[in-house]
Parts: sequence; structure tokens; C-alpha cells
Amino acid sequence: MHVRWKHLAIGLAILPIVVFFATWIGFFNVGASTGHWKITEWFLHFAMRSAVRTYAFTVDVPDRLPREGLQPAGGHFARGCAICHGAPGEPRSPAALAMLPRPPDLADVVGKWKDRELFRIVKHGVRFTGMPAWPTQARDDEVWAMVVFLRALPAMDATTYRRLAYDGKPSPPMHATGIEEALAECNRCHGVDGMGRSPSTPVLAGQNEVYLLESLRAYAEGRRPSGMMTLPVQAIDYARLTALARHFAELPRAVAPARGEEERFRRGEQIARHGRPVERVPACLGCHASAKRSPAYPRLAGQSAAYISAQLRLFREGRRGGTRFSPLMENAAKSLSDADIENVTTYFSTLSPGD
Amino acid sequence: MLVGCQGVQSALDPAGAEARAISTLFVAMVLTGGAVWLGVASILWFAMRQGRAVVAEQSASRLIFWGGAVFPSVTLITLLGYAFWLMPSLRPFATASEAALRIEVTGRQYWWQVAYHRSGPPILAANEIRLPVGSRIEFSLKSDDVIHSFWIPSLGGKMDMIPGRANRLSLLADKPGVFRGACAEYCGSSHALMALTAVVMEPAAFDAWLMTEAKASINAGGEGGALFVHHGCGSCHRVAGTEASGTLGPDLSHLGSRQMLAAGIIANTEDNIARFIAAPDAIKPGANMPAFSMLPQEDIRAIAVWLKRLE
Repeated sequence: MHVRWKHLAIGLAILPIVVFFATWIGFFNVGASTGHWKITEWFLHFAMRSAVRTYAFTVDVPDRLPREGLQPAGGHFARGCAICHGAPGEPRSPAALAMLPRPPDLADVVGKWKDRELFRIVKHGVRFTGMPAWPTQARDDEVWAMVVFLRALPAMDATTYRRLAYDGKPSPPMHATGIEEALAECNRCHGVDGMGRSPSTPVLAGQNEVYLLESLRAYAEGRRPSGMMTLPVQAIDYARLTALARHFAELPRAVAPARGEEERFRRGEQIARHGRPVERVPACLGCHASAKRSPAYPRLAGQSAAYISAQLRLFREGRRGGTRFSPLMENAAKSLSDADIENVTTYFSTLSPGD
Repeated sequence: MLVGCQGVQSALDPAGAEARAISTLFVAMVLTGGAVWLGVASILWFAMRQGRAVVAEQSASRLIFWGGAVFPSVTLITLLGYAFWLMPSLRPFATASEAALRIEVTGRQYWWQVAYHRSGPPILAANEIRLPVGSRIEFSLKSDDVIHSFWIPSLGGKMDMIPGRANRLSLLADKPGVFRGACAEYCGSSHALMALTAVVMEPAAFDAWLMTEAKASINAGGEGGALFVHHGCGSCHRVAGTEASGTLGPDLSHLGSRQMLAAGIIANTEDNIARFIAAPDAIKPGANMPAFSMLPQEDIRAIAVWLKRLE
């Protein structure tokens, strides 16, 4: 008996050496052509499902998923996801199909996951699979918009998808060199008129050129985190940004939506004009009074409501980033309450662009 | 040694009625205390000289009764009575008809908001108060954030500024001059950098000053004023006569006429104004103003020049 225990101990002690040696002589094939051993495949999937399920418990699910983010998420899907996962009406490249593991057709699998699990996978990616994390960890709002898109994906036909992702036009190339191609890349989501193709997309038409250019540079240089903007900005020649900023600045801004919430508008106007001195909220119009102020400060009259409120929340959490002036706004938004954000949003989004 | 007791911020060098009363009380306390100490020390010295000589029980009892019970009681009660008698005169409140001028001072982290109330709209200023010599001025002391304490040692006793209430204090300055006040209650990281300039002026000069203060500055400071509004400074600061009407930060109307900058801590020069705009936190840690170092240097300079010329 003594002798057997001793043998076992010696065996265990030399096992790592044997494994290391086997690895060193190249015993373990890392080629993707033959696939995993059955047991490896089972174990990796088991580990992945378990980890996603467990880590998803830490995710804070919002009360309401941002349905207004469907279109921009579709636009991002076309650039970031479809190349591996395919899209309605767009067969994948054989190169993507030869990946190990093969990226699943998402229409088949999203139903197996809960919202928080999809969020976890999209935000953090999956190791050993080629599934990348979201390009920034600071924008949960974008990840939730992608969850909305994924939920809509199984029932989506090719026409709907093309309308969401490309506005029904031909898909622009993956790297835009010419100005026409660069503009087409912007227009997919921001619209030919620059008014934004979804409620959560910012209105670019009539925005200050200086602010637009500074913001594009901030995206390109990673000073303003956003998965959805990083991809298209990286796909455009840096030198084209100036022309793009000028193009959108020169478009006319359409009239703001009709005002329904009089009381909210009035309260928002109070904050915009006078701030809330005791809470240290400065007056918005001190900087955001369009033509009378520095063009580095964005014009807000007639801006998208969902966009304003999302940005104010990001500023409040200190995650917005942006131009060299964005620390001013971080300071200003620090003590805004949720109600303040609603009121200010109502005020600026329904303000006539001429004001 | 007495030089250390003089200067712009000394309770021992009074320039006001209240400060004078406090100073007298202090001197009376020190003199009486000193006399008692001398007496006790003399008795001790005497006792040591006596060696082991026996003292009669009766005279020992008498000494303990008179020296140990009656004398301390009488002395302490007298001093206490004097202090009590002084108290009303340290907190004299002008009757409504007398209070022609009331100064409201609000403590903010880390500066003072000042409003002169008389007939007509209040006159707003910050970090400096001016008083006419020889008139009793009533102060209304408030706070918007944490507890501060308002203290100009040369003019009178201190009074806390408590959020949610208005404390009253009245001061009668009897000597013209420039004095320094300080926040006397720890209020945050820059508490030690929260000072105040108090300028006591001849009544005629004071009235003239107040008249000027009530009007917008006549300014010849170039394009700085336009840049001030252009870059959004008006979100937080007010400058009378311009579009800038913010109330979060100090009122900057007539900034050029103030003695000091940043709540009594640096000299009021163009360089210092420019330095503060670019990096407030370097001069005043924890200040609420964000740094404007991203503005072009020439814009910062132009704004500083303009502000310095707001007389």
C-alpha cells in the first residue's frame, strides 16, 4: 500500500513535466482545420455558458431597454458584427465560416440567452473564440441598444436590415478614402439631411463646425468613448474629418418637434437661464446660446431629446469625455438630478433651432 | 514683541467699538489673572522661606477662608459680572429705523458673497466689504453649503454662518483703514485660503464708492469683455452691465477696484487673474471653478486685462 501511494505521488509530480514536454515537441495541434477534440469542445462551451450565466448576475438591467437605439445598433452591427456572424440577406464569407469555433448565426442563438447575458457577452466578449469586447467599457447605453437589435434580429428580413444598416443604399466600403464614401458612411446613421435616423442619434445639421471637428477628432483619438462612433471614424481618412464637419455644419436644422410638456419646458428653461446656484448647476445658456458663444460649445436648440439626456447622464457619471472643453460640462452636470435632466432635455429639444 | 499684536488682523489692535470692548476685556482678564498669579507665587515663596515653623491653627483657617474661598469667589464673580455687563454692548442691534445699510454676507466654499441692502436694489460684490467709519452697520450672515464663521478681528467678534438661517451681527468701525477677516470655522480643503478684505472709509468716500458700485463699470478694457461672455464665463459669474449674470461664483463687477483676489489670498494683478483662470485649483485647492487652460493664452490675457480694469 505504501509503495502504491508513493508511485501515485511520483506520477503526479512528473505529470506537469510530461505535459510541458509534450507541448514543447508540438504534440498538441493548434490548427483550426481539424476542430477541437470532443471533450475540449464540450468543456469550453460548458465553461463559457457557466461564466456568462454567473457574471450576468452583476449586470444592472435598465427598467426599459432603449428601443430608440435599434437603428444605430443596426448600423454598428453591419460594421462590427456581420463580418463574422452574417446578417439577414448577407451570407458570410467562407473565411468567417472557417473560424474555430464557427461564429454562430445569431438569429438562431439569441433566444437562448437572457437580456443581461447578451449584455455581458456583447460588452465583455468571449475569450478563446475571437468574440471581441465592446470597443469601450464606458458606454453601457450602446451595449443595451445592441441587445435591442439582437432581440429584433431573429424576425428581421433582409429589406428591414438593409434599411436599418444602410438606409436602403449600397453598403459603403470598409475603408473610405474619398469624400463621397466617407459621407456615405456618416449618412448611414446620421441621415442625408443630418437630422439623425433614430431618436437617439444626435442632430448634426447646423451644428457648429468647430465643435463637430473637435468631436470627430476626440472619437478618432479615443478621448470620447463610443463603440458605435469609433468604428466608422477609424474607417475614414483623418484628413477627411474637416470636410465632413463643414458638410454637416452647413446643412439646415429642421424645426424642433412640437412641445407637449409645458411645465417641464418651463422648469428646464429656468435651469437653462439661471442654473441652480445652491446645487452648483450653472446656467446652460451661459455657454450654449448658439451664435453668441464660442463655436467650441455645441448648439443645443432642436437637438434630439434621447441624445441630450444620454449625454447628460454620461457627463454626470464622468464617462462622456470629448473635446478639451468637456471637463467644463462634467463639472456642470455633476449635481443634476434625474428630474433636472428631463426638464433641461425637454427645454433644448423643443426649442426652435432659430433661438 | 507687541509688534506681533498689531496689524490688519489682530483683536489686540482694535479699530471698532466691539473689538475695543473685547480687547479691554482681554486686558482686564490678563491683568487680574497676572495679579492673582503674583499673589499665589508670593505666598508660596513666603511659605518656603518659613521653613518648618509652626503656624497657629486659627490663622491657617483664616488664610484658607479668606484666601482660598472668599478672594477667588469675589474675583471670579467680578470678572464674570464685567463680561456679562459687556455682552449686550458686543451684540448691539440697530433698530429698524437706524439700519440704513445692511450688509448680507453669505459664506460659500471658499469665498464670500456680499450684498449691500439699502433703499433700491441690492448692490452685489464678493470677497471684500467696505464700511463707513463711525456708523453702526448691521450684518446678516448666511451660508449656502457648510458652516463658516465670519470674523474680522480688528472690528469685532466672530459669528458663525449656518446653512438655513441668518445670524445677525453689528459692527461699528471707528478708525479708517484696511483690515483682514478670515473664515473661523473649518469648512473644507481651502478653509485656510478663505479670507476677506474689510475697508473702512470716511463716510463721504464710502457714499461715493457705493454710488460707483451701484452702476456698471465704465470700461475701456478692450475685447476682454466680449471674450468673457463668448467663452461662457457668464454661466457662473455676474458682471454688472454685461450679459454675464451667473450667481454660482463670485460677482466680478468692479473687480479691478478690489484690493485682493481669490478671497483675500493673492494680490489683485492681471497676472494673478490670468493664473486663476487657467488653473484655479493650483491657487485654491477644491475650488468649484473648473480650469480654463484650454482657452488660447491671448484670450485668457485679454479677459484678465478687462477684469482688472473693471473699476
